[in-house]
Amino acid sequence: MAEDVINAEETEDKKPKSKDEVRVAVIACERSVNLEGELNQTKLNGVDNCDVIQVPCSGMIQPRMIESAFKAGADGVIAMGCQIGDCHFREGNKFCRERLLGLRPPMIKKTVPKNRLQGYWMSEVQVEEFKARIEEFKIHVADELLNEAAEG
Amino acid sequence: MLTNIVRGGQKVILRLEDILNKIFSSEQNILYYHGAMPNFFMWMLFLSGLLLFAYYTPTLEAAYQSVEYITKKLPYGDVIRGIHRYAADAMYLTVILHAIRVYFTDRYREYRIIAWYSGIALSIFMLVIGISGYILVWDQRSLTIVNKFAEFLAALPFIGETLSHGFINGDVISNYTMSMSFFLHTGTSFALLILLWVHYMRISRPVVNVTWAIGSLLAGMVLVVAGALPALSGEEANFNAMLPSIPLEQVDWFYLWLFPLIDTVGNYGAWAALILGLVVVTLLPNFVKSEDSEPASVNKDSCVGCRLCSIDCPYEAIYMAPRNDGSKYKELAVVINDRCAECGLCVGACNFDAIELPTYRSTEVMDDIRIALLQD
Ligand code: HEM
Ligand code: SF4
Ligand code: SF4
Repeated sequence: MAEDVINAEETEDKKPKSKDEVRVAVIACERSVNLEGELNQTKLNGVDNCDVIQVPCSGMIQPRMIESAFKAGADGVIAMGCQIGDCHFREGNKFCRERLLGLRPPMIKKTVPKNRLQGYWMSEVQVEEFKARIEEFKIHVADELLNEAAEG
Repeated sequence: MLTNIVRGGQKVILRLEDILNKIFSSEQNILYYHGAMPNFFMWMLFLSGLLLFAYYTPTLEAAYQSVEYITKKLPYGDVIRGIHRYAADAMYLTVILHAIRVYFTDRYREYRIIAWYSGIALSIFMLVIGISGYILVWDQRSLTIVNKFAEFLAALPFIGETLSHGFINGDVISNYTMSMSFFLHTGTSFALLILLWVHYMRISRPVVNVTWAIGSLLAGMVLVVAGALPALSGEEANFNAMLPSIPLEQVDWFYLWLFPLIDTVGNYGAWAALILGLVVVTLLPNFVKSEDSEPASVNKDSCVGCRLCSIDCPYEAIYMAPRNDGSKYKELAVVINDRCAECGLCVGACNFDAIELPTYRSTEVMDDIRIALLQD
């Protein structure tokens, strides 16, 4: 992959967008929602502007991965693991959730827009629910962008 | 074929848990406490057992009467006895659930192998505790159990006679037999604790406690059953009117299934079934082909010794070693390769890119994120 893509300019001030323009990045545990046959490379089928990057466990999601998604132009980011209480590696989703809530180091940087960051905890069998929630999330992100622009 | 059954089983479990999560919240979902529930019943058993222990007399003459005394004369003695009986059944039931869940969710092999093997040993220990417990009552069923179990042991070639003799604790049933059963019951219970320590050895922060709400529910259920179906003795053991087999309605199917099995297929058949069963569960982890292992690895130059990875590792696979390689940091994270689950929790915990999964490094994850977002 070309260097210039990797080092592309960071997008700073966010402008309001319609729900259809909102770009979502999902960093997902490969054992949570089963996305076999649902992805075209990283693009989620049936949902516009949604990229999914899968990792072995949501507990692997390092705060800087979330930052990098925002920096690369995501308007909203979702960290997704299995249902809380069930984790193949026992505690991964619990730790990830604590990091999203700012309760566990390493901490997420203050500059990350927390109101456009969410944690989803879903099991393998909840594919349709997952897609439906992404659509809701886009509306939420569009609203937040509008608020942010209004606040200046 | 096997893989498909297991995957199907996992889907059923996940669906069920999802429903319970929606009703009770994941915090109060009993299925998430599949390991803690047997543990809870075990403590109920130790407590109620302690009270029974205070009044029980392990001799041929006095055993039956002492149990009758506990049941009929001692205030709440019948309740305590009922709790002891039904908590035991509940413990086996939840152990089976626990074993089924770890099997179908594929959480029993490789770096979890100690938990699997010690789990098998735990379930055998529980059988010993259960069988010897039913002897202590010293009613007709107890006598049948002693006889049949002695014959069953004796049927084993070479060591059978010795085992049987040791179990009877002499040539004929005597007070020594009672002492032996008492010892098997209490001694194995304490051995269970040691085995549990082995069971948890590789597990960081095992979930051993249920919540207050779930604990109250479980204790309440045991109490209700104990009240509705009091645990009572049969006729006192009578050497002149020995029963050839345990009547089916008196069989506790969690602990005494071996005896109807012996009645049906004979001693040799029962041994064959037992050994075959044991071999199959022991070999279950070998039926699945393991992938090549690529454990997490530490970059010495970046590690600052902050310990976060070793705290978060769910399988106790990371320890902090003192370092004297001229680095300004005092400790270095070290991965014990064959304990590593390749889960990446350490990667999520490290702020210095110092520990990585070789199959998917954190820098690669970040590159993939950027590439995905910047492509169009
Ligand atoms: C006295 C009975 C038993 C008790 C009290 C018990 C309790 C527990 C507990 C508390 C855990 C930790 C769960 C967690 O925090 O993730 C655990 C894990 C485990 N148990 Fe048991 N267990 C018992 C019997 C068994 C049996 C019979 C088996 C299977 C043969 C078994 C297999 C396992 C396995 C494979 C794990 C590891 C699961 C994982 O790493 O996710 N256990 N057990
Ligand atoms: S990947 Fe890291 S956290 Fe997971 S078991 Fe291995 S060393 Fe521990
Ligand atoms: S988290 Fe990173 S820096 Fe800290 S001890 Fe572990 S490897 Fe070293």
